[in-house]
Amino acid sequence: MTAEVPEEAAPPLADLPYGPEPAGPSAPPAGVQRQRLHPLTPLLESFRFFAAAAAAVGIQVFTSRNFLFAVYIAVAAAVAGGIASLIALQYRGFVIWGRELHIYSGVFTRSHRTVPLDRLQSVDLSRPIRARLFGLAQLNIEVAGGDGTDARLAYLKVDRALALRAELLAIAGRPAAVPETVEATDEAEEAPEPDRDAGLLVPQTTVKRLALASLLEALPVQVAALLVFGTAFSVLGAIFGYDRVATTLWVTFFAPALLGYVQSTVAVVNRFLRNGRFRIARDGENLLIQRGLTDTSHETVPVDRVTGVSFVEPVLWRSRRWRRVEVWTAAVAQQSSMSVKSTTALPVGGPEEVAVVAGAAVPDLPSDAVLRQGAVERPPRRARWRMPLRWKRTGAALTERAFVVRHGLWVNVHVAVPYARIQSVRVTQGRVQRMQGLATVRAMAAGGLGHDAVAVHRDVREAVAMAAELRERADAAAALERPRLS
Amino acid sequence: MSVKAIPVWDLWPGDVEWQPMSPKLRTVWVLRSLVNLLILAVLAAVPLAIWLGWEGLLWALGGYVLVAGLRALAVARTVATWGYAERQEDLLVRHGLLTRRLSIVPYGRIQLIDLSAGPIERMFGLTTVQVRTAALGSTTEVPGLDPAVAAALRDRLAVRAAEVREGL
Repeated sequence: MTAEVPEEAAPPLADLPYGPEPAGPSAPPAGVQRQRLHPLTPLLESFRFFAAAAAAVGIQVFTSRNFLFAVYIAVAAAVAGGIASLIALQYRGFVIWGRELHIYSGVFTRSHRTVPLDRLQSVDLSRPIRARLFGLAQLNIEVAGGDGTDARLAYLKVDRALALRAELLAIAGRPAAVPETVEATDEAEEAPEPDRDAGLLVPQTTVKRLALASLLEALPVQVAALLVFGTAFSVLGAIFGYDRVATTLWVTFFAPALLGYVQSTVAVVNRFLRNGRFRIARDGENLLIQRGLTDTSHETVPVDRVTGVSFVEPVLWRSRRWRRVEVWTAAVAQQSSMSVKSTTALPVGGPEEVAVVAGAAVPDLPSDAVLRQGAVERPPRRARWRMPLRWKRTGAALTERAFVVRHGLWVNVHVAVPYARIQSVRVTQGRVQRMQGLATVRAMAAGGLGHDAVAVHRDVREAVAMAAELRERADAAAALERPRLS
Repeated sequence: MSVKAIPVWDLWPGDVEWQPMSPKLRTVWVLRSLVNLLILAVLAAVPLAIWLGWEGLLWALGGYVLVAGLRALAVARTVATWGYAERQEDLLVRHGLLTRRLSIVPYGRIQLIDLSAGPIERMFGLTTVQVRTAALGSTTEVPGLDPAVAAALRDRLAVRAAEVREGL
């Protein structure tokens, strides 16, 4: 991935399954003072457990009206939790030793994780709401060649976390220019200073606009779900009688369906909360994203790792010409397993903002050409009966720098994969397609199956020519880039 | 010949020298499908025998012969569609009788090359070369090569992959 990591390098040291200390020469001597995490850490980490326990006790109290029971449980939980936390804290901590960060954890199963700071990819500060209540933060440390979040330091006081972040970046030899923007988190609730917005690519997304956008995005699903539920209930009720339908169908069908419905609603709300106060800035080779209404989090997207950009347009956003920009980044985890992360680079934005963000994520991507109406060419008319509604909103185009495809009816998505990131190309032709003289071209980018650019139902000759052209352009684009090791 | 009858790979611009698979591949795959069907037939024969008595076994046998014959014909024709071509910058693999597939794998993106051989393949001395890129689900197979050819192909691919490493 990055130039300094040879491909044959061993994966980062995993947790040692047993033994408190590794016998490696790089391990710090036993006497070195470990830095402690914040004393509230164990309590915060078992936050969910406590919430669940509280809920269970609450229900118990509510049903049996036995308040003494709740008191006993609370006292027992507090004592046990306190003792457990005290013990756990003794074994947790971290040491910066030379150019490595050692993280210790575990009471029964001790683990010791070594993070080579030379290969540090990013250090992100995130603040879940339970940590924000106590003024704490956690550091997510990512290492090149690792899978996702490699190491986590949770929880630390915010100022200490920031100082530690700067220190780690300094050791890794990265300019620690980031903390200025990070510092802004603390005062984000207070009056915003004008110079904070200086480095931003686009102005911060207003909560009002995001709320409207989320509402419009969720509306079709909600309306459809309610319609289906309503008609199913009333029709069945009219036939079988409402009482019987209510009792039998409720248990077998409506309850699970309702659960799914509630879940999707919660997901929408969650996304709204996650993307609130969205700010994106560019710092050299990285995109810095800072977001969150309740849980503030920071993300760093290395531009040279971006394998594709997708522009998502739910059906009700069309009239406003809004789009959401998502950026895919890929990381090599183990030998062949890839992890692809889809990061929102802009929760909602007009055409100009979308163009700016997309241009920052993929340099020279002519996003106006990508997003102009009719920029992508539709499949031939004879393919229309295969997808009568989607046909109009489907297409593919070979632009100057990227392969662009468009698909989807309710949620229309433009996918742009830069030529330099195309892994392999595949042309498939099904039976019906063969009768019609159509074929599908699939340009695969690194990572999961969902991260391909698929041009469906192209004319056969065009499809094959497209595949050949894609291959040629991919080679040309890859040759232009500086040589990279995977 | 109308465009509909031409396989998708024959429309590829420029000349491509398709390498055929080993002629033994057809035998191996027909045999494999026969064995697979035999297992199914045996499984089907038990309830048939219970239901119809000894006559059931005859039915199972007759069904097996019919289905296996058709299947063998289809497999034999499918094998003929397999082919691969090494070009300057990429490896082309084509296959498929009803659904036609053409995979293009650039050498620079190859991450892993595997050689594998199943029990029936081993009996006939055949090897499968699997080429993997960083894209998930894009494992490209070149089945049915003589071990020497497979090893040579793997070596050529590995060398080319090391020469033009493009990474992700």
